[in-house]
Amino acid sequence: MRESPRQIIVLAISFALLAALPWIAGAVGRPDFVTLGSQACVMAIAAASLDLLMGRTGLPSFGHAAWLGLGAYTVGILAFHARDLGPWALQAWAVWPLAVLVPAALAAVIGALCLRTSGISFIMITLAFAQMFFFLFVALKTYGGDDGLTLRRRSTIPGIAPRDDVAFFYVCLVALVLVLLLLRRVAASRFGTVLDGIRQNERRMMAMGLAPFPYKLAAFVLSAAIAGLAGALHVNLFRFASPDVLHWTMSGELMVMVVLGGLGSLWGAVFGAAAMVVLHAVLAQWTEHWQIVLGPILVAVVLLARRGVWGALGGK
Amino acid sequence: MSALLEVRGLAKRFGGLVATDGLNLDVQAGEIHALIGPNGAGKTTAIAQIAGELRPDAGTIRLAGQDVTALPVPARVKAGMTRSFQITQVLMQSTALANVAMVEQVRQGHSFRLWRPAARDERLLAPARAMLQRVGLAARADVAAEDLSHGERRQLELAMALATHPRLLLLDEPMAGLGATESAAMTALLAALKQEVAILLVEHDMDAVFALADRITVLEGGRVIASGAPDAIRADPAVREAYLGAA
Repeated sequence: MRESPRQIIVLAISFALLAALPWIAGAVGRPDFVTLGSQACVMAIAAASLDLLMGRTGLPSFGHAAWLGLGAYTVGILAFHARDLGPWALQAWAVWPLAVLVPAALAAVIGALCLRTSGISFIMITLAFAQMFFFLFVALKTYGGDDGLTLRRRSTIPGIAPRDDVAFFYVCLVALVLVLLLLRRVAASRFGTVLDGIRQNERRMMAMGLAPFPYKLAAFVLSAAIAGLAGALHVNLFRFASPDVLHWTMSGELMVMVVLGGLGSLWGAVFGAAAMVVLHAVLAQWTEHWQIVLGPILVAVVLLARRGVWGALGGK
Repeated sequence: MSALLEVRGLAKRFGGLVATDGLNLDVQAGEIHALIGPNGAGKTTAIAQIAGELRPDAGTIRLAGQDVTALPVPARVKAGMTRSFQITQVLMQSTALANVAMVEQVRQGHSFRLWRPAARDERLLAPARAMLQRVGLAARADVAAEDLSHGERRQLELAMALATHPRLLLLDEPMAGLGATESAAMTALLAALKQEVAILLVEHDMDAVFALADRITVLEGGRVIASGAPDAIRADPAVREAYLGAA
């Protein structure tokens, strides 16, 4: 997965623009662009984590929203009980790691069950588990039920004012860059090559003497953990956790982001997520049925650029 | 002396079809044992059970005295036997070198390393290059498997099986789809392997079978109808009627 020169240029320009986004937003008088940028970073983290499963390991999980939502609710619920738990429940250093660990631990159990299946069954069982969490949080009236749970203030990060949207944007951007560096490193490691082999030909991997299950489970857990981080950022961005984040349409949207950008390329998931967030914002301004426009765009990308937007940039 | 591979009373049925019917089979260390028979005789089913992909209904499989009947495929590979496939199974998007390096990595263990890059790891690449050299693919090491010719992919398939360092190779039609020169090259390659690894060979190419095999077992309807040295098999009237006569 070496990038072509054109891809590197696009990457450099994109990240430079992203880093300068608060100034650009100020110059054009649209401070809401900053929130949009944060949202793109958060969704990019979630999509990149799904790409580890879908694109690299060949496991099309249709329940990825569960991990995003569990990460968000972990932060939200701890803050909700902060009066009883103590001030640590509002601190990012304590709460965010938990938002990573809770989805990871549940993914270890649920993944162990889901990975007994493959193909369509795997898609359906991951969907079923995610919907279970959705209905659980809809039913939990203590935490707002289907109205969702408001986060009174963002998790405390030393040196950053909780109401400073620009600072929070940079937190999201740094998180995205760190996650991408981690995932790239993992992809190139021995572990990553095994995942790649499992996607290409699981039968052959077994004939080499490899038992695929532990590797698939590890990928599942790692992917859920990173999605949990995205969830923690998501709830902080909007100061709100709602069951919508857990809904199957969110899982579907994440899959669309990965496919739109290009499966398995990591950067593709990032561009797919950014494209979806921006398209949503632009199209929703002139029609609430914005998906009518999104649909044909997706069809066109899938038909014309099989390897997604990112793959098309790479040429060949 | 007990054989390297001992198959006893192996049976498998799919509904009403008896695919393997009380199969007994021995492969000695250092021999090439050919398994032949007409289409539908149950050769590939037998290989799949010995390799561990299919669970037999009855019977035992022993490798070097160890009962492996209940072991899954990866454990049997670790115990010392692996198979090649009739329809090429390689990692199509990876280069020939990366394919063999992957086998080397699995053999060495340590696949739970998440940090260090694998692509330039000489501990994997050096043995992989040596193996490609051996099957005659060294010049094509950096070509993606999907861009290799059919014959080259068969060579790669063999290299990958060999890279597990097996004591017993189960080869399912290694000559399938090869031209005359390619077949001859593959035959020479297999003959040279005999020194170090025993081979159970399923093959339709009778020239190759009679050139290579120390012993031949003939299957029909899932049952052994003859077993012995090539000359005896060639002369066996039951075999001639069932199989060779038709050819």
